[in-house]
Amino acid sequence: MTPKNNIIIGIIIGLLVIASYNVDVSPIDFVEGLPNLMIVFEEMIAVEPKYIPTALWAMFETIQMAFIGTVIGIVIALPLSLLAARNLNSKFVYAPIRAFLAAIRTFPSILWALLFVIMVGSGTFAGVLAIIMYTVGFIAKLQYEAIETIDSDPMDAVGSIGVSKVQLISYVVIPESASHLLSQMLYMFDYNIRQTSILGLVGAGGIGFYIINYIKFFEYGKAAIFMLVVLITVLAIDWASVRIRDKYIIKSQHGMEITTK
Amino acid sequence: MKQIRMTKNSSFSLISTKKIIQMNDVSTSYDSKNFALKEINLSIDRGTNYSIVGQSGSGKSTLLKLMNAMMIPSDGIIKIDYIKPDMNDKKFKIMMHKIGYIPQNLGLIKNISVLENILIGALPRLNKIQSFLKKFPEHEIKEAKKIINQVGLTGKEDRKAHMLSGGEKRRVAIARALMQKPTILLADEIVSELDHVTAREIMDLITDAQKRMNLTAIMVHHDMKLALEYANRVAVIKEGKKILEIGVEGDNIVDFQTGDMTNDEIMEMYSDDPKK
Repeated sequence: MTPKNNIIIGIIIGLLVIASYNVDVSPIDFVEGLPNLMIVFEEMIAVEPKYIPTALWAMFETIQMAFIGTVIGIVIALPLSLLAARNLNSKFVYAPIRAFLAAIRTFPSILWALLFVIMVGSGTFAGVLAIIMYTVGFIAKLQYEAIETIDSDPMDAVGSIGVSKVQLISYVVIPESASHLLSQMLYMFDYNIRQTSILGLVGAGGIGFYIINYIKFFEYGKAAIFMLVVLITVLAIDWASVRIRDKYIIKSQHGMEITTK
Repeated sequence: MKQIRMTKNSSFSLISTKKIIQMNDVSTSYDSKNFALKEINLSIDRGTNYSIVGQSGSGKSTLLKLMNAMMIPSDGIIKIDYIKPDMNDKKFKIMMHKIGYIPQNLGLIKNISVLENILIGALPRLNKIQSFLKKFPEHEIKEAKKIINQVGLTGKEDRKAHMLSGGEKRRVAIARALMQKPTILLADEIVSELDHVTAREIMDLITDAQKRMNLTAIMVHHDMKLALEYANRVAVIKEGKKILEIGVEGDNIVDFQTGDMTNDEIMEMYSDDPKK
Protein backbone atom coordinates (compact mmCIF):
# COMPACT_ATOMS: atom_id res chain seq x y z
CA MET A 1 0.00 0.00 0.00
CA THR A 2 1.62 3.21 -1.14
CA PRO A 3 0.93 6.60 0.48
CA LYS A 4 -0.72 7.67 -2.79
CA ASN A 5 -3.23 4.82 -2.54
CA ASN A 6 -3.94 5.72 1.09
CA ILE A 7 -4.78 9.28 0.08
CA ILE A 8 -7.14 8.06 -2.66
CA ILE A 9 -8.88 5.65 -0.28
CA GLY A 10 -9.13 8.45 2.30
CA ILE A 11 -10.73 10.77 -0.25
CA ILE A 12 -13.25 8.12 -1.29
CA ILE A 13 -14.24 7.46 2.34
CA GLY A 14 -14.56 11.21 2.95
CA LEU A 15 -16.81 11.63 -0.08
CA LEU A 16 -18.89 8.66 1.03
CA VAL A 17 -19.52 10.22 4.43
CA ILE A 18 -20.39 13.64 3.00
CA ALA A 19 -22.71 12.20 0.35
CA SER A 20 -24.41 9.92 2.90
CA TYR A 21 -25.03 12.87 5.19
CA ASN A 22 -26.47 14.89 2.30
CA VAL A 23 -28.90 12.19 1.22
CA ASP A 24 -29.82 10.99 4.71
CA VAL A 25 -28.22 7.57 4.54
CA SER A 26 -28.68 6.32 8.08
CA PRO A 27 -27.73 2.81 9.28
CA ILE A 28 -29.74 3.40 12.46
CA ASP A 29 -32.96 4.00 10.54
CA PHE A 30 -32.25 0.86 8.55
CA VAL A 31 -31.92 -1.31 11.64
CA GLU A 32 -34.95 0.29 13.30
CA GLY A 33 -36.97 -0.29 10.13
CA LEU A 34 -36.29 -4.02 9.94
CA PRO A 35 -39.34 -4.99 12.04
CA ASN A 36 -41.55 -3.14 9.48
CA LEU A 37 -40.13 -5.37 6.75
CA MET A 38 -41.03 -8.40 8.85
CA ILE A 39 -44.65 -7.21 9.02
CA VAL A 40 -44.72 -6.87 5.23
CA PHE A 41 -43.25 -10.35 4.84
CA GLU A 42 -45.77 -11.86 7.21
CA GLU A 43 -48.60 -10.32 5.24
CA MET A 44 -47.03 -11.38 1.99
CA ILE A 45 -46.90 -14.99 3.10
CA ALA A 46 -50.67 -14.86 3.48
CA VAL A 47 -51.06 -15.04 -0.31
CA GLU A 48 -54.47 -15.17 -1.84
CA PRO A 49 -54.41 -17.89 -4.51
CA LYS A 50 -57.62 -16.71 -6.17
CA TYR A 51 -55.63 -13.81 -7.63
CA ILE A 52 -53.26 -16.12 -9.49
CA PRO A 53 -55.27 -16.10 -12.77
CA THR A 54 -55.40 -12.28 -12.68
CA ALA A 55 -51.68 -12.11 -12.03
CA LEU A 56 -50.95 -14.51 -14.91
CA TRP A 57 -53.15 -12.51 -17.23
CA ALA A 58 -51.43 -9.26 -16.18
CA MET A 59 -48.06 -10.88 -16.84
CA PHE A 60 -49.25 -12.08 -20.23
CA GLU A 61 -50.36 -8.53 -21.01
CA THR A 62 -46.95 -7.26 -19.93
CA ILE A 63 -45.16 -9.76 -22.19
CA GLN A 64 -47.36 -8.72 -25.11
CA MET A 65 -46.58 -5.05 -24.48
CA ALA A 66 -42.86 -5.83 -24.36
CA PHE A 67 -43.17 -7.91 -27.53
CA ILE A 68 -44.94 -5.18 -29.53
CA GLY A 69 -42.56 -2.52 -28.20
CA THR A 70 -39.49 -4.60 -29.03
CA VAL A 71 -40.60 -5.56 -32.55
CA ILE A 72 -41.75 -2.09 -33.59
CA GLY A 73 -38.75 -0.50 -31.88
CA ILE A 74 -36.38 -2.73 -33.85
CA VAL A 75 -38.19 -2.05 -37.12
CA ILE A 76 -37.70 1.68 -36.55
CA ALA A 77 -34.15 1.27 -35.21
CA LEU A 78 -32.74 -0.67 -38.16
CA PRO A 79 -32.97 1.99 -40.85
CA LEU A 80 -31.75 4.56 -38.34
CA SER A 81 -28.72 2.38 -37.51
CA LEU A 82 -27.85 2.15 -41.22
CA LEU A 83 -27.98 5.94 -41.43
CA ALA A 84 -25.93 6.35 -38.25
CA ALA A 85 -23.06 4.05 -39.30
CA ARG A 86 -19.91 6.00 -40.08
CA ASN A 87 -18.66 3.50 -42.63
CA LEU A 88 -21.79 3.89 -44.78
CA ASN A 89 -22.60 7.60 -44.66
CA SER A 90 -21.13 11.04 -44.78
CA LYS A 91 -20.79 13.11 -41.62
CA PHE A 92 -23.83 15.18 -42.57
CA VAL A 93 -26.03 12.11 -42.39
CA TYR A 94 -24.68 10.19 -39.43
CA ALA A 95 -23.97 13.11 -37.06
CA PRO A 96 -27.58 14.39 -36.71
CA ILE A 97 -28.97 10.85 -36.51
CA ARG A 98 -26.51 9.99 -33.75
CA ALA A 99 -27.40 13.15 -31.85
CA PHE A 100 -31.09 12.25 -32.14
CA LEU A 101 -30.46 8.71 -30.89
CA ALA A 102 -28.34 9.99 -28.00
CA ALA A 103 -31.17 12.35 -27.03
CA ILE A 104 -33.67 9.46 -27.03
CA ARG A 105 -31.39 7.42 -24.79
CA THR A 106 -31.05 10.09 -22.12
CA PHE A 107 -34.57 9.29 -20.81
CA PRO A 108 -35.14 6.02 -19.00
CA SER A 109 -38.26 4.19 -20.12
CA ILE A 110 -40.23 5.24 -17.05
CA LEU A 111 -39.87 8.92 -18.03
CA TRP A 112 -40.97 8.12 -21.56
CA ALA A 113 -43.96 6.32 -20.01
CA LEU A 114 -44.86 9.42 -17.97
CA LEU A 115 -44.68 11.53 -21.09
CA PHE A 116 -46.88 9.16 -23.09
CA VAL A 117 -49.41 8.85 -20.23
CA ILE A 118 -49.85 12.60 -20.56
CA MET A 119 -50.07 12.30 -24.33
CA VAL A 120 -52.37 9.29 -24.88
CA GLY A 121 -53.77 8.78 -21.38
CA SER A 122 -52.91 6.08 -18.88
CA GLY A 123 -53.01 2.46 -20.00
CA THR A 124 -51.04 -0.13 -21.88
CA PHE A 125 -50.65 1.92 -25.07
CA ALA A 126 -48.57 4.55 -23.26
CA GLY A 127 -46.38 1.72 -21.98
CA VAL A 128 -45.92 0.25 -25.46
CA LEU A 129 -44.90 3.67 -26.81
CA ALA A 130 -42.37 4.06 -24.00
CA ILE A 131 -40.85 0.66 -24.76
CA ILE A 132 -40.65 1.54 -28.46
CA MET A 133 -38.73 4.72 -27.73
CA TYR A 134 -36.33 2.98 -25.41
CA THR A 135 -35.77 0.13 -27.87
CA VAL A 136 -35.15 2.51 -30.77
CA GLY A 137 -32.47 4.38 -28.81
CA PHE A 138 -30.62 1.30 -27.72
CA ILE A 139 -30.95 -1.11 -30.62
CA ALA A 140 -29.99 1.61 -33.11
CA LYS A 141 -26.85 2.33 -31.11
CA LEU A 142 -25.88 -1.32 -30.64
CA GLN A 143 -26.57 -2.02 -34.29
CA TYR A 144 -24.65 0.91 -35.76
CA GLU A 145 -21.73 -0.13 -33.61
CA ALA A 146 -22.05 -3.66 -34.96
CA ILE A 147 -22.18 -2.33 -38.53
CA GLU A 148 -19.08 -0.26 -37.95
CA THR A 149 -17.13 -3.26 -36.75
CA ILE A 150 -17.93 -5.53 -39.70
CA ASP A 151 -14.99 -6.65 -41.72
CA SER A 152 -14.06 -4.18 -44.46
CA ASP A 153 -12.98 -6.96 -46.82
CA PRO A 154 -16.44 -8.15 -47.91
CA MET A 155 -17.42 -4.51 -48.34
CA ASP A 156 -14.36 -3.90 -50.51
CA ALA A 157 -14.78 -7.09 -52.50
CA VAL A 158 -18.46 -6.55 -53.24
CA GLY A 159 -18.23 -2.76 -53.46
CA SER A 160 -15.54 -3.06 -56.11
CA ILE A 161 -17.97 -4.97 -58.37
CA GLY A 162 -19.71 -1.64 -58.79
CA VAL A 163 -22.96 -2.57 -57.04
CA SER A 164 -25.35 0.07 -55.74
CA LYS A 165 -25.32 1.18 -52.13
CA VAL A 166 -28.70 -0.45 -51.51
CA GLN A 167 -27.32 -3.73 -52.82
CA LEU A 168 -24.21 -3.37 -50.68
CA ILE A 169 -26.40 -2.91 -47.61
CA SER A 170 -28.82 -5.72 -48.30
CA TYR A 171 -26.25 -8.26 -49.54
CA VAL A 172 -23.25 -7.49 -47.32
CA VAL A 173 -23.97 -5.20 -44.38
CA ILE A 174 -27.17 -6.85 -43.17
CA PRO A 175 -25.99 -10.49 -43.49
CA GLU A 176 -22.65 -9.62 -41.89
CA SER A 177 -24.26 -7.90 -38.92
CA ALA A 178 -27.24 -10.26 -38.63
CA SER A 179 -25.78 -12.49 -35.95
CA HIS A 180 -25.28 -9.48 -33.70
CA LEU A 181 -28.81 -8.35 -34.37
CA LEU A 182 -30.33 -11.69 -33.34
CA SER A 183 -28.64 -11.65 -29.98
CA GLN A 184 -29.48 -7.99 -29.44
CA MET A 185 -33.14 -8.62 -30.22
CA LEU A 186 -33.25 -11.38 -27.68
CA TYR A 187 -31.49 -9.31 -25.07
CA MET A 188 -33.78 -6.36 -25.71
CA PHE A 189 -36.95 -8.46 -25.42
CA ASP A 190 -35.70 -9.96 -22.18
CA TYR A 191 -34.83 -6.51 -20.85
CA ASN A 192 -38.09 -4.96 -22.03
CA ILE A 193 -40.15 -7.51 -20.10
CA ARG A 194 -38.45 -6.40 -16.88
CA GLN A 195 -38.96 -2.76 -17.81
CA THR A 196 -42.61 -3.18 -18.77
CA SER A 197 -43.21 -4.82 -15.38
CA ILE A 198 -42.53 -1.50 -13.67
CA LEU A 199 -44.15 0.89 -16.16
CA GLY A 200 -47.46 0.40 -14.35
CA LEU A 201 -46.01 2.52 -11.52
CA VAL A 202 -46.73 5.60 -13.62
CA GLY A 203 -49.98 4.28 -15.00
CA ALA A 204 -48.65 2.90 -18.25
CA GLY A 205 -50.23 -0.55 -17.95
CA GLY A 206 -48.76 -3.96 -17.34
CA ILE A 207 -48.37 -5.99 -14.18
CA GLY A 208 -46.70 -3.12 -12.30
CA PHE A 209 -50.02 -1.31 -12.23
CA TYR A 210 -51.48 -4.01 -9.97
CA ILE A 211 -48.38 -4.20 -7.80
CA ILE A 212 -48.26 -0.47 -7.09
CA ASN A 213 -51.99 -0.28 -6.35
CA TYR A 214 -52.04 -3.22 -3.93
CA ILE A 215 -49.00 -1.83 -2.15
CA LYS A 216 -50.63 1.58 -1.89
CA PHE A 217 -53.62 0.00 -0.18
CA PHE A 218 -51.40 -2.16 2.06
CA GLU A 219 -52.62 -5.39 0.44
CA TYR A 220 -49.23 -7.03 0.54
CA GLY A 221 -50.60 -10.55 0.13
CA LYS A 222 -52.09 -9.70 -3.22
CA ALA A 223 -49.02 -7.73 -4.32
CA ALA A 224 -46.85 -10.71 -3.39
CA ILE A 225 -48.57 -12.97 -5.91
CA PHE A 226 -47.98 -10.50 -8.70
CA MET A 227 -44.37 -10.02 -7.68
CA LEU A 228 -43.85 -13.76 -7.56
CA VAL A 229 -45.26 -14.12 -11.08
CA VAL A 230 -42.84 -11.42 -12.31
CA LEU A 231 -39.94 -13.17 -10.61
CA ILE A 232 -40.74 -16.57 -12.10
CA THR A 233 -41.39 -15.13 -15.57
CA VAL A 234 -38.15 -13.15 -15.64
CA LEU A 235 -36.16 -16.18 -14.49
CA ALA A 236 -37.84 -18.38 -17.11
CA ILE A 237 -37.17 -15.90 -19.89
CA ASP A 238 -33.60 -15.46 -18.78
CA TRP A 239 -33.10 -19.21 -18.90
CA ALA A 240 -34.80 -19.50 -22.29
CA SER A 241 -32.78 -16.72 -23.86
CA VAL A 242 -29.51 -18.23 -22.71
CA ARG A 243 -30.57 -21.50 -24.32
CA ILE A 244 -31.60 -19.81 -27.56
CA ARG A 245 -28.38 -17.81 -27.67
CA ASP A 246 -26.25 -20.92 -27.20
CA LYS A 247 -28.17 -22.98 -29.67
CA TYR A 248 -28.57 -20.58 -32.57
CA ILE A 249 -26.48 -17.48 -32.21
CA ILE A 250 -23.16 -18.84 -31.05
CA LYS A 251 -23.53 -21.60 -33.62
CA SER A 252 -24.15 -19.14 -36.41
CA GLN A 253 -21.21 -17.00 -35.34
CA HIS A 254 -18.64 -19.71 -34.87
CA GLY A 255 -20.01 -22.67 -36.73
CA MET A 256 -20.13 -24.90 -33.69
CA GLU A 257 -22.54 -26.04 -31.10
CA ILE A 258 -22.12 -25.32 -27.43
CA THR A 259 -22.96 -28.31 -25.29
CA THR A 260 -24.11 -27.52 -21.82
CA LYS A 261 -23.32 -29.97 -19.10
CA MET B 1 13.08 -27.66 -62.67
CA LYS B 2 14.07 -26.04 -65.91
CA GLN B 3 17.53 -24.62 -66.34
CA ILE B 4 17.04 -20.94 -66.71
CA ARG B 5 19.47 -18.61 -68.36
CA MET B 6 19.46 -14.91 -67.90
CA THR B 7 19.30 -12.73 -70.97
CA LYS B 8 19.02 -8.97 -71.13
CA ASN B 9 16.33 -7.08 -73.00
CA SER B 10 13.96 -7.06 -75.11
CA SER B 11 10.97 -8.30 -76.75
CA PHE B 12 9.97 -4.70 -76.90
CA SER B 13 9.50 -5.34 -80.60
CA LEU B 14 6.60 -7.59 -79.67
CA ILE B 15 4.26 -4.68 -79.14
CA SER B 16 0.76 -5.79 -78.33
CA THR B 17 -2.09 -3.95 -79.93
CA LYS B 18 -4.27 -4.28 -76.88
CA LYS B 19 -3.03 -2.96 -73.62
CA ILE B 20 -5.65 -3.50 -70.95
CA ILE B 21 -3.85 -1.66 -68.16
CA GLN B 22 -1.59 1.33 -68.60
CA MET B 23 0.08 3.36 -65.89
CA ASN B 24 2.28 6.35 -66.51
CA ASP B 25 4.27 7.83 -63.65
CA VAL B 26 1.62 6.88 -61.14
CA SER B 27 2.19 7.89 -57.53
CA THR B 28 -0.03 7.63 -54.51
CA SER B 29 0.16 9.34 -51.19
CA TYR B 30 0.52 7.39 -47.99
CA ASP B 31 -2.49 6.89 -45.79
CA SER B 32 -3.04 4.78 -42.69
CA LYS B 33 -4.13 1.72 -44.67
CA ASN B 34 -2.08 1.80 -47.85
CA PHE B 35 1.58 2.12 -48.68
CA ALA B 36 2.65 4.83 -51.05
CA LEU B 37 3.77 4.20 -54.63
CA LYS B 38 6.29 6.29 -56.52
CA GLU B 39 6.21 6.89 -60.27
CA ILE B 40 5.04 3.49 -61.39
CA ASN B 41 5.08 2.75 -65.10
CA LEU B 42 3.57 -0.41 -66.37
CA SER B 43 1.46 -1.80 -69.13
CA ILE B 44 -0.31 -5.12 -69.13
CA ASP B 45 -1.43 -7.01 -72.21
CA ARG B 46 -4.96 -8.28 -72.52
CA GLY B 47 -5.37 -11.97 -71.79
CA THR B 48 -2.09 -12.41 -69.97
CA ASN B 49 -1.14 -13.54 -66.53
CA TYR B 50 0.69 -10.77 -64.70
CA SER B 51 2.20 -10.96 -61.26
CA ILE B 52 3.29 -8.28 -58.85
CA VAL B 53 5.86 -9.43 -56.32
CA GLY B 54 7.20 -7.63 -53.31
CA GLN B 55 7.60 -7.85 -49.59
CA SER B 56 4.94 -6.71 -47.19
CA GLY B 57 4.80 -2.96 -47.04
CA SER B 58 6.21 -2.58 -50.55
CA GLY B 59 2.98 -1.11 -51.92
CA LYS B 60 1.98 -4.07 -54.08
CA SER B 61 -1.58 -4.23 -52.74
CA THR B 62 -1.94 -0.51 -53.30
CA LEU B 63 -1.01 -1.07 -56.93
CA LEU B 64 -3.84 -3.59 -57.25
CA LYS B 65 -6.35 -1.22 -55.67
CA LEU B 66 -5.52 1.42 -58.28
CA MET B 67 -6.78 -0.94 -60.96
CA ASN B 68 -10.39 -0.98 -59.75
CA ALA B 69 -10.64 2.59 -58.53
CA MET B 70 -10.55 1.59 -54.87
CA MET B 71 -7.68 4.04 -54.70
CA ILE B 72 -7.09 7.15 -56.73
CA PRO B 73 -3.53 8.16 -57.66
CA SER B 74 -2.21 11.48 -56.42
CA ASP B 75 -0.20 11.80 -59.58
CA GLY B 76 0.12 10.22 -63.01
CA ILE B 77 -2.27 8.61 -65.44
CA ILE B 78 -4.02 5.24 -65.26
CA LYS B 79 -6.09 3.76 -68.04
CA ILE B 80 -8.05 0.57 -67.61
CA ASP B 81 -9.07 -0.59 -71.06
CA TYR B 82 -8.49 3.01 -72.14
CA ILE B 83 -10.80 4.44 -69.47
CA LYS B 84 -9.66 6.42 -66.45
CA PRO B 85 -10.74 4.61 -63.27
CA ASP B 86 -13.27 6.67 -61.35
CA MET B 87 -16.12 5.26 -59.26
CA ASN B 88 -18.33 8.22 -60.07
CA ASP B 89 -17.97 7.75 -63.79
CA LYS B 90 -20.83 5.72 -65.25
CA LYS B 91 -18.65 4.26 -67.97
CA PHE B 92 -16.09 3.02 -65.48
CA LYS B 93 -18.78 1.75 -63.12
CA ILE B 94 -20.00 -0.54 -65.89
CA MET B 95 -16.44 -1.69 -66.39
CA MET B 96 -16.16 -2.45 -62.66
CA HIS B 97 -18.87 -5.06 -63.09
CA LYS B 98 -16.29 -7.01 -65.06
CA ILE B 99 -13.32 -6.54 -62.79
CA GLY B 100 -13.15 -9.35 -60.27
CA TYR B 101 -11.29 -8.41 -57.10
CA ILE B 102 -10.25 -10.88 -54.42
CA PRO B 103 -8.84 -9.06 -51.38
CA GLN B 104 -6.23 -10.70 -49.19
CA ASN B 105 -8.80 -11.93 -46.68
CA LEU B 106 -11.09 -12.96 -49.55
CA GLY B 107 -14.07 -10.86 -48.45
CA LEU B 108 -16.56 -13.71 -48.27
CA ILE B 109 -19.75 -13.15 -46.32
CA LYS B 110 -19.42 -15.72 -43.60
CA ASN B 111 -23.02 -16.33 -42.56
CA ILE B 112 -24.39 -17.09 -46.01
CA SER B 113 -23.97 -20.17 -48.18
CA VAL B 114 -21.38 -20.88 -50.86
CA LEU B 115 -24.03 -20.49 -53.58
CA GLU B 116 -25.26 -17.16 -52.17
CA ASN B 117 -21.71 -15.86 -51.95
CA ILE B 118 -21.04 -16.79 -55.55
CA LEU B 119 -24.31 -15.29 -56.82
CA ILE B 120 -23.16 -11.89 -55.55
CA GLY B 121 -20.95 -11.81 -58.65
CA ALA B 122 -24.15 -11.61 -60.71
CA LEU B 123 -25.60 -8.67 -58.75
CA PRO B 124 -24.91 -6.04 -61.42
CA ARG B 125 -27.00 -8.07 -63.88
CA LEU B 126 -30.14 -8.07 -61.72
CA ASN B 127 -32.91 -5.57 -62.16
CA LYS B 128 -34.13 -3.57 -59.17
CA ILE B 129 -37.01 -5.88 -58.30
CA GLN B 130 -34.94 -9.05 -58.50
CA SER B 131 -32.26 -7.39 -56.43
CA PHE B 132 -34.72 -6.23 -53.79
CA LEU B 133 -36.37 -9.63 -53.50
CA LYS B 134 -32.99 -11.39 -53.61
CA LYS B 135 -34.46 -13.49 -56.41
CA PHE B 136 -31.80 -14.55 -58.88
CA PRO B 137 -33.06 -15.71 -62.27
CA GLU B 138 -32.86 -19.43 -63.05
CA HIS B 139 -30.10 -19.02 -65.66
CA GLU B 140 -27.87 -17.22 -63.14
CA ILE B 141 -28.30 -20.01 -60.60
CA LYS B 142 -27.47 -22.51 -63.36
CA GLU B 143 -24.38 -20.50 -64.25
CA ALA B 144 -23.34 -20.35 -60.58
CA LYS B 145 -23.70 -24.13 -60.30
CA LYS B 146 -21.60 -24.58 -63.44
CA ILE B 147 -18.87 -22.44 -61.89
CA ILE B 148 -19.17 -24.30 -58.58
CA ASN B 149 -18.46 -27.44 -60.56
CA GLN B 150 -15.49 -25.85 -62.32
CA VAL B 151 -13.88 -24.77 -59.06
CA GLY B 152 -14.50 -28.18 -57.52
CA LEU B 153 -17.06 -27.28 -54.88
CA THR B 154 -19.93 -29.47 -56.08
CA GLY B 155 -21.95 -30.75 -53.14
CA LYS B 156 -20.91 -27.84 -50.94
CA GLU B 157 -23.31 -25.23 -52.38
CA ASP B 158 -25.31 -24.98 -49.18
CA ARG B 159 -22.42 -24.88 -46.73
CA LYS B 160 -21.96 -21.64 -44.85
CA ALA B 161 -18.79 -19.87 -46.00
CA HIS B 162 -17.23 -19.82 -42.54
CA MET B 163 -17.40 -23.61 -42.32
CA LEU B 164 -15.06 -24.17 -45.28
CA SER B 165 -11.34 -24.86 -45.29
CA GLY B 166 -8.83 -22.24 -46.42
CA GLY B 167 -8.51 -23.77 -49.88
CA GLU B 168 -12.27 -24.06 -50.29
CA LYS B 169 -12.79 -20.44 -49.24
CA ARG B 170 -10.38 -19.38 -51.96
CA ARG B 171 -12.34 -21.42 -54.48
CA VAL B 172 -15.52 -19.60 -53.44
CA ALA B 173 -13.82 -16.22 -53.83
CA ILE B 174 -12.56 -17.22 -57.29
CA ALA B 175 -16.02 -18.49 -58.25
CA ARG B 176 -17.62 -15.22 -57.14
CA ALA B 177 -15.17 -13.31 -59.33
CA LEU B 178 -15.80 -15.68 -62.29
CA MET B 179 -19.53 -15.17 -61.81
CA GLN B 180 -18.94 -11.56 -62.83
CA LYS B 181 -17.88 -12.87 -66.27
CA PRO B 182 -14.76 -10.78 -65.76
CA THR B 183 -12.29 -9.42 -68.25
CA ILE B 184 -9.83 -8.66 -65.45
CA LEU B 185 -9.22 -10.69 -62.32
CA LEU B 186 -7.31 -9.04 -59.48
CA ALA B 187 -6.14 -11.26 -56.61
CA ASP B 188 -4.20 -10.09 -53.59
CA GLU B 189 -1.92 -12.78 -52.11
CA ILE B 190 -4.51 -15.44 -52.66
CA VAL B 191 -2.16 -18.35 -51.98
CA SER B 192 0.22 -16.89 -49.38
CA GLU B 193 -1.20 -18.75 -46.43
CA LEU B 194 -1.67 -22.10 -48.15
CA ASP B 195 0.51 -25.19 -48.22
CA HIS B 196 2.41 -26.03 -51.43
CA VAL B 197 -0.10 -28.49 -52.84
CA THR B 198 -3.18 -26.38 -52.20
CA ALA B 199 -1.42 -23.24 -53.45
CA ARG B 200 -0.67 -24.95 -56.76
CA GLU B 201 -4.24 -26.24 -57.05
CA ILE B 202 -5.54 -22.70 -56.61
CA MET B 203 -3.00 -21.27 -59.07
CA ASP B 204 -3.91 -23.95 -61.63
CA LEU B 205 -7.56 -23.12 -61.19
CA ILE B 206 -6.98 -19.43 -61.86
CA THR B 207 -4.66 -20.12 -64.78
CA ASP B 208 -7.21 -22.49 -66.36
CA ALA B 209 -9.96 -19.91 -66.02
CA GLN B 210 -7.67 -17.19 -67.31
CA LYS B 211 -6.91 -19.15 -70.46
CA ARG B 212 -10.42 -20.48 -70.98
CA MET B 213 -12.11 -17.10 -70.58
CA ASN B 214 -9.21 -15.15 -72.07
CA LEU B 215 -9.19 -12.84 -69.10
CA THR B 216 -6.33 -10.83 -67.74
CA ALA B 217 -5.20 -12.15 -64.37
CA ILE B 218 -3.23 -9.76 -62.21
CA MET B 219 -2.01 -11.32 -59.00
CA VAL B 220 0.00 -10.08 -56.08
CA HIS B 221 2.43 -12.59 -54.54
CA HIS B 222 5.35 -12.58 -52.28
CA ASP B 223 6.74 -15.83 -53.59
CA MET B 224 8.86 -15.06 -56.66
CA LYS B 225 9.21 -18.70 -57.66
CA LEU B 226 5.46 -19.26 -57.78
CA ALA B 227 4.92 -16.00 -59.64
CA LEU B 228 7.45 -16.87 -62.35
CA GLU B 229 6.04 -20.34 -62.70
CA TYR B 230 2.58 -19.10 -63.63
CA ALA B 231 2.86 -15.54 -64.87
CA ASN B 232 3.81 -14.25 -68.29
CA ARG B 233 5.40 -11.29 -66.60
CA VAL B 234 6.40 -10.39 -63.09
CA ALA B 235 6.87 -6.88 -61.77
CA VAL B 236 8.90 -6.48 -58.61
CA ILE B 237 7.92 -3.67 -56.26
CA LYS B 238 10.21 -2.44 -53.54
CA GLU B 239 9.49 0.50 -51.28
CA GLY B 240 6.83 1.82 -53.62
CA LYS B 241 8.93 1.63 -56.76
CA LYS B 242 8.86 -0.84 -59.61
CA ILE B 243 12.42 -2.04 -59.66
CA LEU B 244 12.14 -4.81 -62.17
CA GLU B 245 9.90 -6.43 -64.75
CA ILE B 246 10.79 -9.87 -65.93
CA GLY B 247 9.22 -12.76 -67.77
CA VAL B 248 10.04 -16.30 -68.73
CA GLU B 249 10.28 -16.93 -72.44
CA GLY B 250 11.21 -20.48 -73.26
CA ASP B 251 14.18 -21.23 -71.06
CA ASN B 252 15.16 -17.62 -70.54
CA ILE B 253 14.25 -15.05 -67.97
CA VAL B 254 13.91 -11.86 -69.93
CA ASP B 255 14.43 -8.49 -68.32
CA PHE B 256 11.85 -6.06 -69.64
CA GLN B 257 13.04 -3.15 -67.65
CA THR B 258 16.60 -2.25 -67.03
CA GLY B 259 16.22 -1.64 -63.39
CA ASP B 260 18.44 -1.05 -60.44
CA MET B 261 19.07 -4.73 -59.92
CA THR B 262 21.93 -6.79 -61.23
CA ASN B 263 21.34 -10.12 -62.91
CA ASP B 264 22.84 -11.88 -59.93
CA GLU B 265 20.35 -10.24 -57.61
CA ILE B 266 17.49 -11.30 -59.83
CA MET B 267 18.69 -14.88 -59.91
CA GLU B 268 19.11 -14.78 -56.18
CA MET B 269 15.53 -13.65 -55.75
CA TYR B 270 14.42 -16.43 -58.03
CA SER B 271 16.19 -19.16 -56.12
CA ASP B 272 15.77 -17.67 -52.69
CA ASP B 273 12.45 -18.56 -51.21
CA PRO B 274 12.31 -17.19 -47.69
CA LYS B 275 9.12 -19.00 -46.77
CA LYS B 276 10.27 -22.54 -47.45
